[in-house]
Amino acid sequence: MTKQWQELTPEEKQEDLFDRWLSPKDPQGKDLKFQSPQAEKAYKERVTRIKDAIQLKKLPDRVPVMPILGFFPNIYAGITPQEAMYDYDKLAKTGKKYTLDFEPDVRASIGLATPGRVFDILDYKLYAWPGHGVSPNHTYQCLEAEYMMADEYDALIQDPSYFFTSTYLPRIFGKLEAFENLCNLANIQEIVAVGPNLIPYGLPTVQEAYKALLEAGSEAKKWAETVGDFNKEMASLGFPGGGGFSKVPFDVIGDTLRGTRGIMVDIYRQPDKVIEAMEAITPLMINMGVSATQKSGNPLVMIPLHKGADGFLSDAQFKKFYWPCFKELLMGLINEGCVPLPFVEGSYNNRLEVIRDVPRGTTYWTFDATDMAKAKKILGDVACIGGNVPTDLLSVGTPQQVKDYVKKLIDSCAKGGGYIMANGVAADSVRPENLKAMIDFTKEYGVYK
Amino acid sequence: MEKKREDMSSDEKQEALFQRWISPKDPEGNNLKFQNPQAEKLYKERATRIKDAIQLKKKPDRVPVFLIPSFAPAFYSGLTPHDVMYDFDKIIPAWKKFYLDFQPDAHGGAFVPSPGKFLEILDFNLYKWPGHGVSNKTTYQCLEGEYMRADEYDTLIHNPLYFFSFTWPSRVFGALESFQMLTPLAGLTEMYGVSLPFIPYGTPPVQTALKALMEAGDEALKWIQVVGGFEAEMPTLGFPAYQAGATKAPFDVIGDTLRGTRGIMLDMYRQPDKLLQAMEALTPIYIQLGVGAAKMAGNPLIFIPLHKGADGFLSDAQFKKFYWPSLRKVLMGLIEEGVVPLLWAEGGYNSRLEVIRDLPKGKTAWLFDQTDMAKAKKALDGIACVMGNMPMDLMTVGSTQDAIDHTKRLIDICGKGGGYIMANGAFFDEVRWENLRAIVDTAKEYGVYKK
Repeated sequence: MTKQWQELTPEEKQEDLFDRWLSPKDPQGKDLKFQSPQAEKAYKERVTRIKDAIQLKKLPDRVPVMPILGFFPNIYAGITPQEAMYDYDKLAKTGKKYTLDFEPDVRASIGLATPGRVFDILDYKLYAWPGHGVSPNHTYQCLEAEYMMADEYDALIQDPSYFFTSTYLPRIFGKLEAFENLCNLANIQEIVAVGPNLIPYGLPTVQEAYKALLEAGSEAKKWAETVGDFNKEMASLGFPGGGGFSKVPFDVIGDTLRGTRGIMVDIYRQPDKVIEAMEAITPLMINMGVSATQKSGNPLVMIPLHKGADGFLSDAQFKKFYWPCFKELLMGLINEGCVPLPFVEGSYNNRLEVIRDVPRGTTYWTFDATDMAKAKKILGDVACIGGNVPTDLLSVGTPQQVKDYVKKLIDSCAKGGGYIMANGVAADSVRPENLKAMIDFTKEYGVYK
Repeated sequence: MEKKREDMSSDEKQEALFQRWISPKDPEGNNLKFQNPQAEKLYKERATRIKDAIQLKKKPDRVPVFLIPSFAPAFYSGLTPHDVMYDFDKIIPAWKKFYLDFQPDAHGGAFVPSPGKFLEILDFNLYKWPGHGVSNKTTYQCLEGEYMRADEYDTLIHNPLYFFSFTWPSRVFGALESFQMLTPLAGLTEMYGVSLPFIPYGTPPVQTALKALMEAGDEALKWIQVVGGFEAEMPTLGFPAYQAGATKAPFDVIGDTLRGTRGIMLDMYRQPDKLLQAMEALTPIYIQLGVGAAKMAGNPLIFIPLHKGADGFLSDAQFKKFYWPSLRKVLMGLIEEGVVPLLWAEGGYNSRLEVIRDLPKGKTAWLFDQTDMAKAKKALDGIACVMGNMPMDLMTVGSTQDAIDHTKRLIDICGKGGGYIMANGAFFDEVRWENLRAIVDTAKEYGVYKK
């Protein structure tokens, strides 16, 4: 008899999720039909390779290669980021062309091209996007501001889910501003209070906001169906992908609630509130990753890291503010069988000794500008590492220079497994031949004897 | 220069709220225009009388008298509860007639008749209402159930408002069942994935639910224009409102309509710590509800109906451990902001009197239903205004002389030295109207304090 999920150890849960990833299902819950026996074989080899690199239990057949891409697949296949955001068919087509032409170990993540019309409908204020604040050829630009005020920590702590829904939402979407008029419904338990508390739903401004929300929902659903079909097709052609997403509590607050300036001031003026708020949102961030892996049957949870990089915080600040809830997030995910994939933007040379404190074989750290030999030395026995192929090299270098760099990385980091080849930051307009060189040379030189 | 609110003591905040209540403004912020000088005089006398009875600082001119009706104004005008729930135009004439004819010292708004069509649109499962599960002539009936499961305490503790605003409605409103598909929008932190939480809003069940919600909102808006009009008009006729809004005891929030009576009784034994933690999480919310309503209305009085803490529902030890601490925190939170909690102790509170004494002086009023009033007065003397106890059976089947006698007896027992408001003990529907008149008139005559 199989054990119930709650009875499994974290290792067993991870193994179970990897098994699900290895034997994918279609949306009806049946075994996915691969397009050919070769495709099935390639799919399983790819997942097994990534799994072996992460688990540190046995040597993979070769170094896996998982490029980190923004709009590159679309630009490569001849459309602008703007078109990718607005024409879902073209988005899927270009994603497919890239994946088949480059044959990396994971398919393109076309879901990163988010549906532009949703943002138009809702009047999204948090970002500029291709054709809306930045040129059609460029990627997103976050617009930092105080979307949460310095005196709102208590509200965030008291009920983070509700804060996001009721306070944050109307601030980042112009069309949902009227949601500020909604009451929390804590008082509608007795019949005479039901009517009064639901009055705002009769207000024209609130009704307009809901109409926009429904329209945006329909558009998001269309987009999600295209992305879902693409993911299924790519798996049937032999290319795995997917997983979940989460964020470090410090970044949740520092990126798009209080902003960089806000949180830097807060860690001096109201450090306890910052810590309490991070503790309050940690369970939500854990749940975000866990529920996505459960749904997708893929243990990987991408976590982009921002404000903890070298230079942003002192060592003491990192240890006091950034790491504790980050660690709690990692452990919450790991305990549910997820494999956190921290995507370390900037450099982490000062943080390596701190982040070593994770269970062996449960995480994959992608580095950008960190000293990779040092990272391997410090983390090599506990975690899989990867990344670091520089964007500038991919953008203006030659294929030979890329090969040399890849060779150096494999020589210094890949020994004994636990290494995945990847570039350091999400690539948009790099030279295709350079990315190809990174992938092909890894396949050639990265084979384990 | 006037002190800012945040610099005021709780005494000063209470006084400021009472002053706003005594000198009301219209919605534009100008002094309220009374319909005639007599109405203005009556209004100020009444509000001052109630204030004096509550604050225990000086004796009022006489014992104030409240009538706190359920659907009684409908019956008094020959209408059924169903009539007024489905035809808003009938509400105001009936409610106005009730207060103008009996002339109690305050009015309680016209919120009792909920909008019937609105409840139907939402397919409200938590109550039966006139013409919908009970007869047209019968009042509401709550349908207890486990609208929160025993294993959901952590959710309630960490995200109480989200639970109330999305999870709970998906269970008590049939039309909003699909809200269970919605996810908290905490994922909206970055461009990536920002559209994912919106996907459920593109599905037919959620779209249908939201359309129902908006249709219900239209009905609620129509309704509030009527009952809000009543609320605005009554002061101009000389009647202050005896409540700015309501809040609840955390134990009742969970025990009434989340876990239900059976659920919370089991939880006290099986997971007492979770229950205590949940009540603690709810406390600031229920303080805020009362404070927000009082400040908005410019009226310090906030109603708190008390249910599961009555004699016989909990042992003394349970009352002290589970019921009172979070209720007291709610009370203290309200008092701190100048609010006057008006607690309605349904059932009997004889065994609780020594416990509830632990409150600051002149900050609360306790409306008793079946509690021994001599005992209550003795226990709360100098601490809180006591109210109520006019029995329902006497109002319904007693003779007019019985009503007069009992009114006098209550004034004798409780009125001495001030700190008493005459009122009925429980919500009433159909009673002998001549008894109501006798109660009000006797209180006005017999309840005068000698200088």
